[in-house]
Amino acid sequence: MGETLNLGRRIEIVPMDVHFHDITVALYRQLRNEGPAFLVHTYSHLEGADERIASIVNGMQILGGMDLTSDGRLQFSCNQSHERACKRVFLEACKLESNESIEPRPLNVLDKKSGLNINISSAGSGIYDVGADGNAKSKEKRISAIAGGLIKLGQMVDERTDRVSFACGQSHDALVGLLLVRAPNVRAIMREEEMTSSRGVLTAPSQQE
Amino acid sequence: METQIVGPMASRERVMAALRREPVDRTPICNPTSVATVELMDLVDAPFPDANRKPDLMARLAATGYTELGFDTIMPVFTIIQESSALGCKIQWEQKDNWPTVKMREPIWEDVDDIDIPSDFLTHQDTKCVLDAIRILKKEYGDEVAIIGKTMGPWSLGYHCFGVEPFLLLSLDDPGKTKLALDRMKEATIDFGIAQIEAGADALTLPDHATGDLVSGDYYKRYLRDLHIEFVERIPIPLILHICGRTVDRMGYIAQTGMAAFHYDSKNKPAESMEAVANRIALVGNINNPETLFAKQPEDVQQEVRRNLDARVQLVGPECAIPLQTAIENLKAIPQAVQAWHREQAAMN
Repeated sequence: MGETLNLGRRIEIVPMDVHFHDITVALYRQLRNEGPAFLVHTYSHLEGADERIASIVNGMQILGGMDLTSDGRLQFSCNQSHERACKRVFLEACKLESNESIEPRPLNVLDKKSGLNINISSAGSGIYDVGADGNAKSKEKRISAIAGGLIKLGQMVDERTDRVSFACGQSHDALVGLLLVRAPNVRAIMREEEMTSSRGVLTAPSQQE
Repeated sequence: METQIVGPMASRERVMAALRREPVDRTPICNPTSVATVELMDLVDAPFPDANRKPDLMARLAATGYTELGFDTIMPVFTIIQESSALGCKIQWEQKDNWPTVKMREPIWEDVDDIDIPSDFLTHQDTKCVLDAIRILKKEYGDEVAIIGKTMGPWSLGYHCFGVEPFLLLSLDDPGKTKLALDRMKEATIDFGIAQIEAGADALTLPDHATGDLVSGDYYKRYLRDLHIEFVERIPIPLILHICGRTVDRMGYIAQTGMAAFHYDSKNKPAESMEAVANRIALVGNINNPETLFAKQPEDVQQEVRRNLDARVQLVGPECAIPLQTAIENLKAIPQAVQAWHREQAAMN
Protein backbone atom coordinates (compact mmCIF):
# COMPACT_ATOMS: atom_id res chain seq x y z
CA MET A 1 0.00 0.00 0.00
CA GLY A 2 1.22 3.46 -0.81
CA GLU A 3 3.36 4.98 -3.49
CA THR A 4 5.02 7.71 -1.47
CA LEU A 5 8.69 7.14 -0.86
CA ASN A 6 11.18 7.64 1.89
CA LEU A 7 13.25 10.27 0.13
CA GLY A 8 15.05 11.79 3.09
CA ARG A 9 14.28 15.13 4.64
CA ARG A 10 12.44 17.58 2.45
CA ILE A 11 14.22 20.91 2.69
CA GLU A 12 12.65 23.00 -0.07
CA ILE A 13 9.59 22.91 -2.27
CA VAL A 14 8.33 24.68 -5.36
CA PRO A 15 4.59 24.01 -5.13
CA MET A 16 3.86 25.04 -8.71
CA ASP A 17 6.47 24.78 -11.43
CA VAL A 18 5.29 27.41 -13.88
CA HIS A 19 7.50 25.93 -16.58
CA PHE A 20 5.91 22.48 -16.49
CA HIS A 21 2.15 22.07 -15.88
CA ASP A 22 2.32 23.47 -12.34
CA ILE A 23 3.78 20.25 -10.96
CA THR A 24 5.29 20.30 -7.50
CA VAL A 25 9.03 19.85 -7.30
CA ALA A 26 10.87 19.29 -4.04
CA LEU A 27 14.44 19.05 -2.83
CA TYR A 28 15.32 16.31 -0.35
CA ARG A 29 18.47 15.93 1.72
CA GLN A 30 19.83 12.45 2.24
CA LEU A 31 22.62 11.55 4.62
CA ARG A 32 25.29 9.25 3.26
CA ASN A 33 28.64 8.03 4.51
CA GLU A 34 30.47 10.41 2.19
CA GLY A 35 28.31 13.37 3.25
CA PRO A 36 24.91 14.85 2.46
CA ALA A 37 23.41 14.35 -0.98
CA PHE A 38 20.42 16.09 -2.50
CA LEU A 39 17.59 14.65 -4.55
CA VAL A 40 15.24 16.62 -6.79
CA HIS A 41 11.90 14.85 -7.00
CA THR A 42 8.34 15.17 -8.15
CA TYR A 43 5.44 12.84 -7.51
CA SER A 44 3.88 13.86 -10.81
CA HIS A 45 3.31 11.07 -13.32
CA LEU A 46 2.78 13.50 -16.19
CA GLU A 47 4.61 12.67 -19.38
CA GLY A 48 7.72 14.80 -19.50
CA ALA A 49 7.99 15.23 -15.73
CA ASP A 50 11.19 13.15 -15.58
CA GLU A 51 12.75 15.33 -18.26
CA ARG A 52 11.78 18.44 -16.34
CA ILE A 53 13.45 17.08 -13.21
CA ALA A 54 16.55 16.24 -15.27
CA SER A 55 16.59 19.82 -16.53
CA ILE A 56 16.44 21.22 -12.99
CA VAL A 57 19.21 18.87 -11.89
CA ASN A 58 21.29 20.00 -14.83
CA GLY A 59 20.62 23.61 -13.87
CA MET A 60 21.78 22.95 -10.32
CA GLN A 61 24.99 21.36 -11.58
CA ILE A 62 25.80 24.39 -13.68
CA LEU A 63 24.51 27.17 -11.45
CA GLY A 64 25.74 25.69 -8.18
CA GLY A 65 28.78 23.81 -9.41
CA MET A 66 27.32 20.65 -7.93
CA ASP A 67 28.34 17.12 -8.87
CA LEU A 68 25.89 14.46 -10.01
CA THR A 69 26.33 11.02 -8.45
CA SER A 70 25.79 7.81 -10.39
CA ASP A 71 22.37 7.40 -8.76
CA GLY A 72 21.16 10.88 -9.62
CA ARG A 73 21.89 12.75 -6.40
CA LEU A 74 23.62 16.12 -6.21
CA GLN A 75 26.57 16.86 -4.00
CA PHE A 76 29.09 19.62 -3.49
CA SER A 77 32.66 18.57 -4.21
CA CYS A 78 33.61 19.30 -0.58
CA ASN A 79 30.97 16.80 0.61
CA GLN A 80 29.56 19.42 2.94
CA SER A 81 25.89 20.32 3.07
CA HIS A 82 25.83 24.10 2.39
CA GLU A 83 22.11 23.56 2.80
CA ARG A 84 20.89 27.12 2.60
CA ALA A 85 22.96 27.75 -0.52
CA CYS A 86 21.75 24.49 -2.03
CA LYS A 87 18.14 25.52 -1.49
CA ARG A 88 18.85 28.77 -3.31
CA VAL A 89 20.48 26.86 -6.19
CA PHE A 90 17.39 24.67 -6.41
CA LEU A 91 14.98 27.63 -6.41
CA GLU A 92 16.99 29.45 -9.08
CA ALA A 93 17.19 26.31 -11.25
CA CYS A 94 13.42 25.91 -11.01
CA LYS A 95 12.99 29.45 -12.35
CA LEU A 96 14.58 28.44 -15.65
CA GLU A 97 12.77 26.90 -18.57
CA SER A 98 13.82 23.42 -19.61
CA ASN A 99 15.23 24.43 -22.96
CA GLU A 100 16.97 27.55 -21.66
CA SER A 101 20.71 27.66 -22.15
CA ILE A 102 22.41 27.86 -18.78
CA GLU A 103 25.83 29.17 -17.92
CA PRO A 104 27.49 29.74 -14.57
CA ARG A 105 26.87 33.26 -13.32
CA PRO A 106 29.93 35.54 -13.46
CA LEU A 107 31.68 36.73 -10.32
CA ASN A 108 30.59 40.29 -10.93
CA VAL A 109 27.30 42.10 -10.93
CA LEU A 110 25.94 45.62 -11.34
CA ASP A 111 24.62 46.86 -8.02
CA LYS A 112 21.58 48.82 -9.14
CA LYS A 113 21.27 50.62 -5.84
CA SER A 114 24.71 52.28 -6.03
CA GLY A 115 25.61 51.90 -9.68
CA LEU A 116 28.80 50.12 -8.65
CA ASN A 117 30.17 47.07 -10.42
CA ILE A 118 30.65 44.52 -7.69
CA ASN A 119 33.48 42.04 -8.19
CA ILE A 120 34.23 38.91 -6.27
CA SER A 121 37.68 37.37 -6.32
CA SER A 122 38.71 34.05 -4.91
CA ALA A 123 41.61 34.14 -2.48
CA GLY A 124 41.72 30.33 -2.32
CA SER A 125 40.75 27.97 0.50
CA GLY A 126 37.10 28.98 0.19
CA ILE A 127 37.83 32.66 0.84
CA TYR A 128 36.28 35.36 -1.34
CA ASP A 129 36.97 39.09 -1.40
CA VAL A 130 34.22 41.54 -2.28
CA GLY A 131 35.28 44.65 -4.21
CA ALA A 132 33.71 47.31 -6.38
CA ASP A 133 34.62 49.32 -9.49
CA GLY A 134 33.29 52.84 -9.74
CA ASN A 135 32.71 55.69 -7.41
CA ALA A 136 29.86 56.06 -5.03
CA LYS A 137 29.52 57.65 -1.63
CA SER A 138 28.20 54.46 -0.23
CA LYS A 139 30.89 52.23 -1.71
CA GLU A 140 32.19 50.74 1.55
CA LYS A 141 28.68 50.36 2.88
CA ARG A 142 27.47 48.54 -0.23
CA ILE A 143 30.44 46.19 -0.24
CA SER A 144 29.72 45.33 3.35
CA ALA A 145 26.01 44.88 2.64
CA ILE A 146 26.70 42.56 -0.28
CA ALA A 147 29.17 40.56 1.78
CA GLY A 148 26.41 40.33 4.38
CA GLY A 149 24.03 39.12 1.68
CA LEU A 150 26.42 36.34 0.70
CA ILE A 151 26.73 35.32 4.34
CA LYS A 152 22.95 35.10 4.72
CA LEU A 153 22.23 33.36 1.44
CA GLY A 154 25.15 30.96 1.52
CA GLN A 155 25.71 30.42 5.26
CA MET A 156 29.18 31.82 4.66
CA VAL A 157 31.58 32.93 7.34
CA ASP A 158 32.05 36.63 8.10
CA GLU A 159 35.82 37.19 7.81
CA ARG A 160 35.72 41.00 7.63
CA THR A 161 33.51 43.63 5.97
CA ASP A 162 34.82 42.80 2.48
CA ARG A 163 35.76 39.15 2.90
CA VAL A 164 33.65 36.01 3.32
CA SER A 165 34.47 32.34 3.27
CA PHE A 166 32.99 28.86 3.19
CA ALA A 167 33.52 26.85 6.36
CA CYS A 168 34.55 23.84 4.27
CA GLY A 169 37.67 25.70 3.15
CA GLN A 170 37.07 24.94 -0.51
CA SER A 171 36.24 27.16 -3.45
CA HIS A 172 32.73 27.19 -4.91
CA ASP A 173 32.99 29.80 -7.66
CA ALA A 174 29.77 28.89 -9.47
CA LEU A 175 27.85 28.97 -6.21
CA VAL A 176 29.22 32.38 -5.29
CA GLY A 177 28.33 33.69 -8.74
CA LEU A 178 24.76 32.49 -8.28
CA LEU A 179 24.42 33.97 -4.80
CA LEU A 180 25.96 37.25 -5.93
CA VAL A 181 22.95 37.93 -8.20
CA ARG A 182 20.67 38.00 -5.14
CA ALA A 183 23.10 39.30 -2.52
CA PRO A 184 22.51 43.04 -3.24
CA ASN A 185 18.85 42.66 -2.25
CA VAL A 186 18.57 39.95 0.35
CA ARG A 187 15.48 41.55 1.86
CA ALA A 188 13.55 40.87 -1.34
CA ILE A 189 14.56 37.23 -1.13
CA MET A 190 13.43 37.03 2.49
CA ARG A 191 10.09 38.61 1.58
CA GLU A 192 9.69 36.20 -1.31
CA GLU A 193 10.40 33.24 0.99
CA GLU A 194 7.89 34.47 3.57
CA MET A 195 5.18 34.96 0.96
CA THR A 196 5.80 31.54 -0.55
CA SER A 197 5.66 29.76 2.78
CA SER A 198 2.47 31.50 3.89
CA ARG A 199 0.58 30.36 0.80
CA GLY A 200 -1.55 27.33 1.35
CA VAL A 201 -1.97 27.87 5.08
CA LEU A 202 -5.68 27.86 5.86
CA THR A 203 -6.84 30.48 8.32
CA ALA A 204 -10.14 30.64 10.16
CA PRO A 205 -12.82 32.72 8.42
CA SER A 206 -12.38 35.40 11.09
CA GLN A 207 -8.77 35.83 9.94
CA GLN A 208 -9.56 35.96 6.24
CA GLU A 209 -10.05 39.05 4.14
CA MET B 1 -10.07 5.79 26.70
CA GLU B 2 -9.30 2.16 27.29
CA THR B 3 -6.79 0.30 25.14
CA GLN B 4 -5.43 -3.24 24.75
CA ILE B 5 -8.69 -4.76 25.88
CA VAL B 6 -9.97 -5.61 22.44
CA GLY B 7 -8.53 -7.52 19.52
CA PRO B 8 -7.29 -5.99 16.26
CA MET B 9 -9.75 -3.60 14.69
CA ALA B 10 -10.20 -2.28 11.18
CA SER B 11 -9.72 1.47 10.81
CA ARG B 12 -13.42 2.22 10.55
CA GLU B 13 -14.31 0.13 13.57
CA ARG B 14 -11.52 1.76 15.57
CA VAL B 15 -12.60 5.30 14.72
CA MET B 16 -16.27 4.70 15.40
CA ALA B 17 -15.49 3.05 18.73
CA ALA B 18 -13.25 5.94 19.76
CA LEU B 19 -15.96 8.44 18.82
CA ARG B 20 -18.24 6.54 21.21
CA ARG B 21 -15.42 6.55 23.78
CA GLU B 22 -15.41 2.77 23.77
CA PRO B 23 -12.31 0.56 24.03
CA VAL B 24 -10.02 0.41 20.99
CA ASP B 25 -7.02 -1.70 20.04
CA ARG B 26 -4.97 1.47 19.51
CA THR B 27 -5.61 5.18 19.28
CA PRO B 28 -7.06 6.01 15.85
CA ILE B 29 -5.38 8.57 13.64
CA CYS B 30 -8.16 10.83 12.48
CA ASN B 31 -8.37 13.87 10.24
CA PRO B 32 -11.66 15.68 10.69
CA THR B 33 -10.27 18.27 8.25
CA SER B 34 -8.06 18.16 5.16
CA VAL B 35 -4.69 16.40 4.92
CA ALA B 36 -4.28 17.21 1.24
CA THR B 37 -0.86 18.43 0.12
CA VAL B 38 0.50 19.63 -3.20
CA GLU B 39 2.69 16.53 -3.47
CA LEU B 40 -0.26 14.20 -2.90
CA MET B 41 -2.17 16.17 -5.55
CA ASP B 42 0.60 15.30 -8.01
CA LEU B 43 0.74 11.69 -6.94
CA VAL B 44 -2.89 11.07 -7.86
CA ASP B 45 -3.21 13.84 -10.46
CA ALA B 46 -5.93 15.65 -8.53
CA PRO B 47 -4.82 19.24 -8.02
CA PHE B 48 -6.69 22.12 -6.43
CA PRO B 49 -8.92 23.82 -7.40
CA ASP B 50 -10.39 20.98 -9.52
CA ALA B 51 -10.15 18.55 -6.61
CA ASN B 52 -12.69 20.73 -4.82
CA ARG B 53 -15.13 20.73 -7.71
CA LYS B 54 -14.87 17.33 -9.41
CA PRO B 55 -15.97 14.32 -7.36
CA ASP B 56 -13.60 11.74 -8.83
CA LEU B 57 -10.62 14.00 -8.16
CA MET B 58 -11.90 14.89 -4.70
CA ALA B 59 -12.28 11.22 -3.80
CA ARG B 60 -8.90 10.28 -5.24
CA LEU B 61 -7.05 12.98 -3.34
CA ALA B 62 -8.92 12.31 -0.10
CA ALA B 63 -8.13 8.59 -0.25
CA THR B 64 -4.40 9.30 0.01
CA GLY B 65 -4.94 10.14 3.68
CA TYR B 66 -5.51 6.42 4.16
CA THR B 67 -3.52 4.82 1.36
CA GLU B 68 -0.40 6.98 1.64
CA LEU B 69 -0.35 8.53 5.09
CA GLY B 70 -1.81 5.65 7.08
CA PHE B 71 -4.66 7.53 8.73
CA ASP B 72 -7.79 5.67 9.85
CA THR B 73 -10.13 8.15 8.20
CA ILE B 74 -10.80 9.61 4.77
CA MET B 75 -12.12 13.17 4.69
CA PRO B 76 -12.89 14.54 1.22
CA VAL B 77 -14.26 17.98 2.10
CA PHE B 78 -10.98 19.87 1.97
CA THR B 79 -12.38 23.41 1.98
CA ILE B 80 -14.77 25.38 4.15
CA ILE B 81 -16.56 26.99 1.23
CA GLN B 82 -18.58 24.28 -0.52
CA GLU B 83 -21.95 25.23 1.06
CA SER B 84 -21.23 28.94 0.87
CA SER B 85 -20.66 28.58 -2.85
CA ALA B 86 -24.00 26.79 -3.14
CA LEU B 87 -25.65 29.55 -1.12
CA GLY B 88 -24.45 32.07 -3.66
CA CYS B 89 -21.27 33.50 -2.16
CA LYS B 90 -18.56 34.61 -4.56
CA ILE B 91 -15.56 32.31 -4.38
CA GLN B 92 -11.92 33.02 -5.08
CA TRP B 93 -10.95 29.53 -6.29
CA GLU B 94 -7.21 30.17 -6.30
CA GLN B 95 -4.67 27.75 -7.75
CA LYS B 96 -3.18 24.42 -6.82
CA ASP B 97 -1.11 25.86 -3.99
CA ASN B 98 -3.74 27.87 -2.14
CA TRP B 99 -7.12 27.52 -0.50
CA PRO B 100 -10.29 28.77 -2.11
CA THR B 101 -11.90 31.49 -0.05
CA VAL B 102 -15.22 33.26 0.12
CA LYS B 103 -15.07 36.90 -0.96
CA MET B 104 -16.45 38.11 2.35
CA ARG B 105 -16.09 41.74 1.34
CA GLU B 106 -18.91 41.06 -1.09
CA PRO B 107 -21.52 39.60 1.28
CA ILE B 108 -24.70 38.15 -0.17
CA TRP B 109 -26.97 38.98 2.78
CA GLU B 110 -27.41 42.17 4.79
CA ASP B 111 -30.44 41.33 6.88
CA VAL B 112 -32.04 38.27 8.41
CA ASP B 113 -34.84 38.49 5.90
CA ASP B 114 -32.31 38.08 3.09
CA ILE B 115 -31.46 34.57 4.27
CA ASP B 116 -32.54 32.16 1.64
CA ILE B 117 -31.40 28.60 1.11
CA PRO B 118 -31.71 28.06 -2.64
CA SER B 119 -33.79 25.16 -3.89
CA ASP B 120 -30.72 23.79 -5.70
CA PHE B 121 -28.61 23.88 -2.55
CA LEU B 122 -27.91 20.14 -2.60
CA THR B 123 -27.62 19.85 -6.36
CA HIS B 124 -25.25 22.79 -6.83
CA GLN B 125 -21.90 21.70 -8.30
CA ASP B 126 -19.98 22.38 -5.10
CA THR B 127 -22.27 20.52 -2.69
CA LYS B 128 -23.05 17.73 -5.14
CA CYS B 129 -19.33 17.22 -5.65
CA VAL B 130 -18.99 16.39 -1.95
CA LEU B 131 -21.96 14.01 -2.00
CA ASP B 132 -20.69 12.21 -5.10
CA ALA B 133 -17.17 11.96 -3.69
CA ILE B 134 -18.51 10.40 -0.50
CA ARG B 135 -20.46 7.88 -2.58
CA ILE B 136 -17.28 6.94 -4.50
CA LEU B 137 -15.28 6.59 -1.29
CA LYS B 138 -17.99 4.61 0.46
CA LYS B 139 -18.07 2.15 -2.40
CA GLU B 140 -14.32 1.76 -2.50
CA TYR B 141 -13.31 1.99 1.16
CA GLY B 142 -16.54 1.94 3.14
CA ASP B 143 -15.94 -1.33 4.98
CA GLU B 144 -12.41 -0.61 6.07
CA VAL B 145 -12.08 3.14 6.66
CA ALA B 146 -14.26 5.74 8.35
CA ILE B 147 -15.51 8.25 5.79
CA ILE B 148 -15.87 11.66 7.39
CA GLY B 149 -17.94 14.37 5.77
CA LYS B 150 -18.27 18.00 6.76
CA THR B 151 -21.13 20.42 7.16
CA MET B 152 -20.47 24.00 8.16
CA GLY B 153 -22.24 25.40 11.20
CA PRO B 154 -24.38 28.55 11.05
CA TRP B 155 -21.82 30.79 12.79
CA SER B 156 -19.31 30.04 10.02
CA LEU B 157 -21.97 30.48 7.36
CA GLY B 158 -22.84 33.81 8.98
CA TYR B 159 -19.26 35.02 8.51
CA HIS B 160 -19.30 33.90 4.88
CA CYS B 161 -22.71 35.23 3.91
CA PHE B 162 -22.90 38.46 5.96
CA GLY B 163 -19.16 39.18 6.25
CA VAL B 164 -17.19 38.74 9.48
CA GLU B 165 -17.50 42.28 10.82
CA PRO B 166 -21.21 42.80 10.02
CA PHE B 167 -22.08 39.44 11.55
CA LEU B 168 -20.11 40.10 14.73
CA LEU B 169 -21.63 43.58 15.02
CA LEU B 170 -25.10 42.10 14.59
CA SER B 171 -24.37 39.69 17.44
CA LEU B 172 -23.42 42.64 19.65
CA ASP B 173 -26.25 44.95 18.63
CA ASP B 174 -29.17 42.62 18.20
CA PRO B 175 -28.99 39.21 19.89
CA GLY B 176 -32.57 38.42 18.86
CA LYS B 177 -31.87 38.96 15.18
CA THR B 178 -28.63 37.03 15.48
CA LYS B 179 -30.42 34.04 16.96
CA LEU B 180 -33.02 34.25 14.22
CA ALA B 181 -30.27 34.36 11.59
CA LEU B 182 -28.55 31.33 13.10
CA ASP B 183 -31.86 29.51 13.29
CA ARG B 184 -32.51 30.09 9.60
CA MET B 185 -28.99 29.22 8.49
CA LYS B 186 -28.92 26.01 10.57
CA GLU B 187 -31.21 24.36 8.02
CA ALA B 188 -28.36 24.44 5.51
CA THR B 189 -26.13 22.71 8.05
CA ILE B 190 -28.71 20.00 8.70
CA ASP B 191 -29.72 19.46 5.09
CA PHE B 192 -26.14 19.10 3.88
CA GLY B 193 -25.26 16.86 6.83
CA ILE B 194 -28.16 14.51 6.22
CA ALA B 195 -27.41 14.39 2.50
CA GLN B 196 -23.85 13.30 3.33
CA ILE B 197 -25.17 10.58 5.64
CA GLU B 198 -27.34 9.31 2.79
CA ALA B 199 -24.27 9.35 0.55
CA GLY B 200 -22.37 7.17 3.02
CA ALA B 201 -20.58 9.34 5.58
CA ASP B 202 -19.80 7.60 8.87
CA ALA B 203 -19.29 10.81 10.83
CA LEU B 204 -19.40 14.53 10.14
CA THR B 205 -17.12 17.35 11.07
CA LEU B 206 -19.13 20.41 12.01
CA PRO B 207 -16.94 23.51 11.97
CA ASP B 208 -18.58 26.48 13.62
CA HIS B 209 -15.96 29.18 13.88
CA ALA B 210 -16.76 30.72 17.23
CA THR B 211 -13.01 31.00 17.49
CA GLY B 212 -11.10 31.85 20.63
CA ASP B 213 -9.73 35.09 19.18
CA LEU B 214 -13.11 36.75 18.51
CA VAL B 215 -15.77 34.95 20.47
CA SER B 216 -15.85 34.24 24.21
CA GLY B 217 -16.97 31.10 25.98
CA ASP B 218 -20.02 32.99 27.19
CA TYR B 219 -20.89 33.86 23.59
CA TYR B 220 -20.65 30.19 22.70
CA LYS B 221 -23.11 29.33 25.46
CA ARG B 222 -25.48 32.15 24.54
CA TYR B 223 -25.63 31.59 20.80
CA LEU B 224 -24.41 28.11 19.91
CA ARG B 225 -24.66 25.53 22.67
CA ASP B 226 -28.39 24.86 22.21
CA LEU B 227 -28.07 24.90 18.43
CA HIS B 228 -25.34 22.30 18.66
CA ILE B 229 -27.55 20.17 20.89
CA GLU B 230 -30.21 20.41 18.20
CA PHE B 231 -27.70 19.27 15.55
CA VAL B 232 -26.95 16.18 17.60
CA GLU B 233 -30.67 15.45 17.80
CA ARG B 234 -31.36 15.99 14.09
CA ILE B 235 -28.20 14.65 12.42
CA PRO B 236 -28.08 10.98 13.38
CA ILE B 237 -24.38 10.11 13.14
CA PRO B 238 -21.39 11.08 15.30
CA LEU B 239 -20.59 14.78 14.98
CA ILE B 240 -17.13 16.25 15.46
CA LEU B 241 -17.32 19.91 16.38
CA HIS B 242 -14.40 21.98 15.10
CA ILE B 243 -13.50 25.38 16.54
CA CYS B 244 -10.05 26.91 16.09
CA GLY B 245 -8.05 28.72 18.72
CA ARG B 246 -7.93 28.74 22.48
CA THR B 247 -11.24 27.19 23.52
CA VAL B 248 -10.76 25.72 26.98
CA ASP B 249 -13.17 28.36 28.31
CA ARG B 250 -16.03 26.78 26.33
CA MET B 251 -15.06 23.11 26.35
CA GLY B 252 -17.33 22.52 29.34
CA TYR B 253 -20.29 23.86 27.36
CA ILE B 254 -19.22 21.94 24.24
CA ALA B 255 -19.13 18.77 26.31
CA GLN B 256 -22.79 19.33 27.20
CA THR B 257 -23.94 19.23 23.58
CA GLY B 258 -23.81 15.49 23.02
CA MET B 259 -21.39 15.89 20.12
CA ALA B 260 -19.23 12.77 19.74
CA ALA B 261 -15.95 14.68 19.64
CA PHE B 262 -14.34 18.08 19.72
CA HIS B 263 -11.60 18.80 17.19
CA TYR B 264 -9.33 21.00 19.19
CA ASP B 265 -6.48 23.40 18.50
CA SER B 266 -2.89 23.20 19.68
CA LYS B 267 -3.44 26.42 21.64
CA ASN B 268 -5.07 24.14 24.21
CA LYS B 269 -2.92 21.68 26.14
CA PRO B 270 -4.06 18.06 25.91
CA ALA B 271 -4.15 17.44 29.66
CA GLU B 272 -6.10 20.61 30.53
CA SER B 273 -8.51 19.93 27.68
CA MET B 274 -9.16 16.38 28.83
CA GLU B 275 -9.84 17.75 32.28
CA ALA B 276 -12.22 20.38 30.89
CA VAL B 277 -14.36 17.91 28.96
CA ALA B 278 -14.30 15.36 31.78
CA ASN B 279 -14.94 12.35 29.55
CA ARG B 280 -18.28 13.70 28.31
CA ILE B 281 -16.98 14.08 24.76
CA ALA B 282 -13.98 12.64 22.89
CA LEU B 283 -11.12 14.90 21.85
CA VAL B 284 -9.35 14.76 18.49
CA GLY B 285 -6.60 16.78 16.84
CA ASN B 286 -4.15 19.10 18.53
CA ILE B 287 -1.04 18.51 16.39
CA ASN B 288 0.10 22.01 15.52
CA ASN B 289 -0.04 22.95 11.84
CA PRO B 290 1.93 26.13 11.07
CA GLU B 291 4.86 25.55 13.38
CA THR B 292 5.17 21.79 13.80
CA LEU B 293 3.69 19.94 10.84
CA PHE B 294 4.67 22.60 8.35
CA ALA B 295 8.00 23.85 9.60
CA LYS B 296 9.53 21.30 11.97
CA GLN B 297 10.82 17.77 11.72
CA PRO B 298 9.18 14.34 12.15
CA GLU B 299 10.71 14.01 15.62
CA ASP B 300 8.88 17.19 16.71
CA VAL B 301 5.61 15.88 15.31
CA GLN B 302 6.08 12.65 17.20
CA GLN B 303 6.60 14.52 20.46
CA GLU B 304 3.29 16.33 20.06
CA VAL B 305 1.53 13.07 19.26
CA ARG B 306 2.97 11.57 22.42
CA ARG B 307 1.74 14.45 24.55
CA ASN B 308 -1.78 13.68 23.35
CA LEU B 309 -1.43 9.97 23.90
CA ASP B 310 -0.01 10.51 27.38
CA ALA B 311 -3.07 12.64 28.17
CA ARG B 312 -5.29 9.79 26.84
CA VAL B 313 -6.79 11.91 24.05
CA GLN B 314 -9.10 9.54 22.16
CA LEU B 315 -8.18 10.32 18.52
CA VAL B 316 -5.00 11.92 17.26
CA GLY B 317 -4.54 14.12 14.18
CA PRO B 318 -3.73 17.59 12.89
CA GLU B 319 -5.48 20.51 14.62
CA CYS B 320 -7.05 21.84 11.40
CA ALA B 321 -6.65 21.59 7.63
CA ILE B 322 -2.93 21.19 7.12
CA PRO B 323 -0.90 23.66 5.06
CA LEU B 324 -0.80 22.49 1.47
CA GLN B 325 3.00 22.43 1.42
CA THR B 326 3.31 20.16 4.47
CA ALA B 327 5.95 17.46 4.03
CA ILE B 328 4.63 13.92 3.65
CA GLU B 329 7.29 12.64 6.06
CA ASN B 330 5.83 14.82 8.82
CA LEU B 331 2.34 13.47 8.25
CA LYS B 332 3.57 9.89 8.24
CA ALA B 333 5.23 10.61 11.57
CA ILE B 334 1.79 10.75 13.22
CA PRO B 335 0.84 7.07 12.73
CA GLN B 336 4.44 6.07 13.36
CA ALA B 337 4.35 7.79 16.75
CA VAL B 338 0.99 6.28 17.66
CA GLN B 339 2.19 2.79 16.84
CA ALA B 340 5.47 3.26 18.72
CA TRP B 341 3.67 4.62 21.79
CA HIS B 342 1.28 1.68 21.89
CA ARG B 343 4.15 -0.79 21.49
CA GLU B 344 5.87 0.81 24.46
CA GLN B 345 2.69 0.71 26.52
CA ALA B 346 2.20 -2.95 25.68
CA ALA B 347 5.77 -3.72 26.65
CA MET B 348 5.28 -2.03 30.02
CA ASN B 349 2.16 -4.05 30.83
